[in-house]
Amino acid sequence: MAGYYSPLTSTRTLLLKIPPVEPGTVGPCPVAPDALQGIKRQQTNPARWNGAGWQDFVAALRTSSVELAEGAAACGVYATDAGGTAYGLPHGVVLARSAGQISLLLKAAQAHRVPVTVRGGGLTTEGESVAFGGVLLDMSGMSRVLNVDAQALTVRAEAGIYWHALAEELRRENLDYLSAPLNLTSSVGGTLGVGGIDVNSARLGCSADQALSLQVVTPTGEIVECSDGENPELFQRVILGYGQFGIITEATLRVRPYTPLAMHYYYYSSLRTAIEDLQMLDRNDASDYSGILTIMDCAVNLLVAFDSDEREAAFRKNWESRLRGYGEFGFALCMAGHYALRPWKFREALYLLQRKREVFPEFRRPEYMREGKMHDRSVVFSRAVWKHWGSRQMVIPDLATSADKFIEAVERGNAVCRKYFVHYTLYCVGIKLRPDHQPHYEMSCVPPDAEGWAYGCEFEPMIEGGIYSRDHFQSFKNAIYDVGVDMGASYYRFGGMMKGYIRRVFGDALVDRHLAMKRRADPAMILNRDVIF
Amino acid sequence: MPATLARAPAAPRDYAACSGCNLCVLVCPMWRSHRDPRFTPEGLAKALQHGATAAQLAAPVEACSLCGACDPVCPEGIDLPGLVMDLRQKLANSLSPRSSPLLDDLCASLQQGVASGVASRSAPLLLPGPDLRADAALLARVQALLGLAIADDDGDDIALALELGVEIPQHRLQQFLASLRGHSIVAADGLLLRQLRRWLPGSQRMGLGAALSSRPAVRSNLLATDLYVIEARAYHGDYERMVAYYDRLQLETGCALNLDLQRIAIPAGAQGLSQKLGATPGDGDAQAKWILKGRRPARIVVESMADRAAFERVCDLPVVHLAELGEDPEMIKRRPHAFG
Ligand SMILES: Cc1cc2nc3c(=O)[nH]c(=O)nc-3n(C[C@H](O)[C@H](O)[C@H](O)COP(=O)(O)OP(=O)(O)OC[C@H]3O[C@@H](n4cnc5c(N)ncnc54)[C@H](O)[C@@H]3O)c2cc1C
Ligand code: SF4
Ligand code: SF4
Repeated sequence: MAGYYSPLTSTRTLLLKIPPVEPGTVGPCPVAPDALQGIKRQQTNPARWNGAGWQDFVAALRTSSVELAEGAAACGVYATDAGGTAYGLPHGVVLARSAGQISLLLKAAQAHRVPVTVRGGGLTTEGESVAFGGVLLDMSGMSRVLNVDAQALTVRAEAGIYWHALAEELRRENLDYLSAPLNLTSSVGGTLGVGGIDVNSARLGCSADQALSLQVVTPTGEIVECSDGENPELFQRVILGYGQFGIITEATLRVRPYTPLAMHYYYYSSLRTAIEDLQMLDRNDASDYSGILTIMDCAVNLLVAFDSDEREAAFRKNWESRLRGYGEFGFALCMAGHYALRPWKFREALYLLQRKREVFPEFRRPEYMREGKMHDRSVVFSRAVWKHWGSRQMVIPDLATSADKFIEAVERGNAVCRKYFVHYTLYCVGIKLRPDHQPHYEMSCVPPDAEGWAYGCEFEPMIEGGIYSRDHFQSFKNAIYDVGVDMGASYYRFGGMMKGYIRRVFGDALVDRHLAMKRRADPAMILNRDVIF
Repeated sequence: MPATLARAPAAPRDYAACSGCNLCVLVCPMWRSHRDPRFTPEGLAKALQHGATAAQLAAPVEACSLCGACDPVCPEGIDLPGLVMDLRQKLANSLSPRSSPLLDDLCASLQQGVASGVASRSAPLLLPGPDLRADAALLARVQALLGLAIADDDGDDIALALELGVEIPQHRLQQFLASLRGHSIVAADGLLLRQLRRWLPGSQRMGLGAALSSRPAVRSNLLATDLYVIEARAYHGDYERMVAYYDRLQLETGCALNLDLQRIAIPAGAQGLSQKLGATPGDGDAQAKWILKGRRPARIVVESMADRAAFERVCDLPVVHLAELGEDPEMIKRRPHAFG
């Protein structure tokens, strides 16, 4: 290394020799190969597909009359997912129109070995629905309700439909879906592939468990109907299968009569106590909806809600007195006392007050309240989620564990959050498991040792206009995921940037078995290939 | 009666803020008819983020009906209808001039301006718009119900220019605004009303629908079996106040509203620019059909003439304009005006 004169310090300083670079050219990498030794490298975007044979593939599609859009205006929409940390562009986009069209697309993709990435709502946060080259198949073009059977309480819909669009149609028949993610714009197909947790999942299970049957286009282009009774192996692999074993094009789902909710909120200053109470309610089937949302780890909100007056009355009679949380007024008094004795924590108190002022009214908007009951709770919750937690970067790592391990997982995750961010929110819910669906859960977000219920916690930092590097976010996520590996937990968000965790969590034997299945089903390994394997 | 003093809207953000949440897609009638993400406000914002030009986005920009439904749902506070209007203006400036009798008349009118008499300062004014002007009997009824003078210059040409993306000459705009300053305004055109909110901040403005339905003579004749169709542009242009206003109306009268689960008004007679100019056949009636799906009202009550036409095409239910619900105009004349 040569010595260079530094005008800043006016002393001779040792600097790296960076050769001058001609404008308009890319110079050699100034970082020596051994320069980052000892520093843990973070996994980032998968490598972009090299585009071999793309033109032949495009010609084949044209012959089959499958429309493909190329160029910035068409592809730019798909550059990232809701996570906003993984970026990649497809070579071209196909807008899903029918199972037949998708079958032609997949057959051509197998023949030409072109990767196909499927996107529903694109609400993944680890880049699973981002295409790093190849074709992006946008399922939102298939988003119609095909049939509502109000007698049998089922609906058949195209799988690209957003849950909220489905709810709009169902409400015209005074029906509702069972459970769906609280964001309005995830799609049915995308959610059945990954899980789907709602504040009623402790009672009704994850969204994927409400599917009765599916129409699937396999990676080699066959159009197959599957259910627990028909082609059950395919059904098991496609449900919670992260789009590895087929593209869901239609789904028959269970539905239920629509009801407004009676909501109750209890406030805790201890996460542990709140989680114990949540699990007590779930075990005893004491409420129709339950979940925890924190403002801070010393201001924890346990939400409890009911579909009927009878269920609410039974809760009041049998369970409410066992809860150790306070009502809003009682908790405010408690907090006032707490901060009066700790005046140096006034910033924390101000934050609590500010959050309360901003967020609480959102849950009480008069146009959604009638006679003390909340209507269209998914709209109320989801709009609040987007408004108060949404941004161009959504970093939401999570842990899913058995009921026994949950408190420890949340406390350890909470400690990680504290280390990385000033403010953050934890969102915890129970997920009732269906014993008959055990095969569906293999290598999924449902932890292998969970019985009866699994529990999930999302750890969501409040970005609040702050600027963090991608590495900071990634290190945070890795620290949460490491807790999972250590505890034998599972995660809701597999894929993309964190697929390195799959083997560590499930072990080689199980992953290799699934990989062998994947190779048989998808010989050219084209379908959603960057997500899991 | 809705509060009439509007708060100044928060400064809108531009397309760069789009996070891709898709919420605007859920409410967009363009999306409903195309099922193609390029025909959505999100599609426009994302394409612009990736360097697309106005010309590349011409098809969706012209298909947009400027219903404004996307505006209140955007959690990032992006002025999406404003974005479309900007793009239309860019298109209008960059393309070889379109020629149509409509455009020719408009340009002439914008240059000429409108001679207006001197209305007494502070007297409330009605801007009826061309559809209502064309129905003299209904206009008379509206006037009697609201007790308002009709503005000599009701800004028809300006409303049309906003819609078409035609630049409004400064002198014409100033002339129009000068004729309105100091007056309370009731406007039938929701797009014009939205824009007046920016041009005349602090002024008292109200949509025709809200003005009429706040009259007891009209409101008392709304029935629980009615489907009440809110005019989408005026509603979305002043969403926070209007959502509360119509919520009370619904509670008081029991009528059904054309609101979706997000409390966004489903625009009934939504037509894109290309349909308005007759360049492409529209399926504007798809929206009216969607509003009626699964509903069996005894009567449809509309605020706008365009919505009346849409429902008359798709069903054989009685369709009445709000003003037709009012009592005998002679009796109403004795009541104070809409802002009274
Ligand atoms: C603000 C926010 C809030 C959230 N809240 C919740 C919540 O409350 N509960 C919850 O469970 N989750 C939540 N999530 C996560 C998100 O909802 C889920 O990941 C979601 O259900 C995915 O659905 P999607 O349609 O967006 O799928 P995408 O993100 O488009 O895709 C998910 C995966 O499935 C594949 N895929 C998509 N469509 C199909 C198909 N038709 N067939 C086969 N494979 C397909 C994709 O390739 C991808 O691998 C939230 C996310 C965000 C950003
Ligand atoms: S104004 Fe209406 S039609 Fe235009 S983009 Fe917004 S919602 Fe769609
Ligand atoms: S609602 Fe706003 S932020 Fe969300 S996708 Fe549409 S434009 Fe983007």
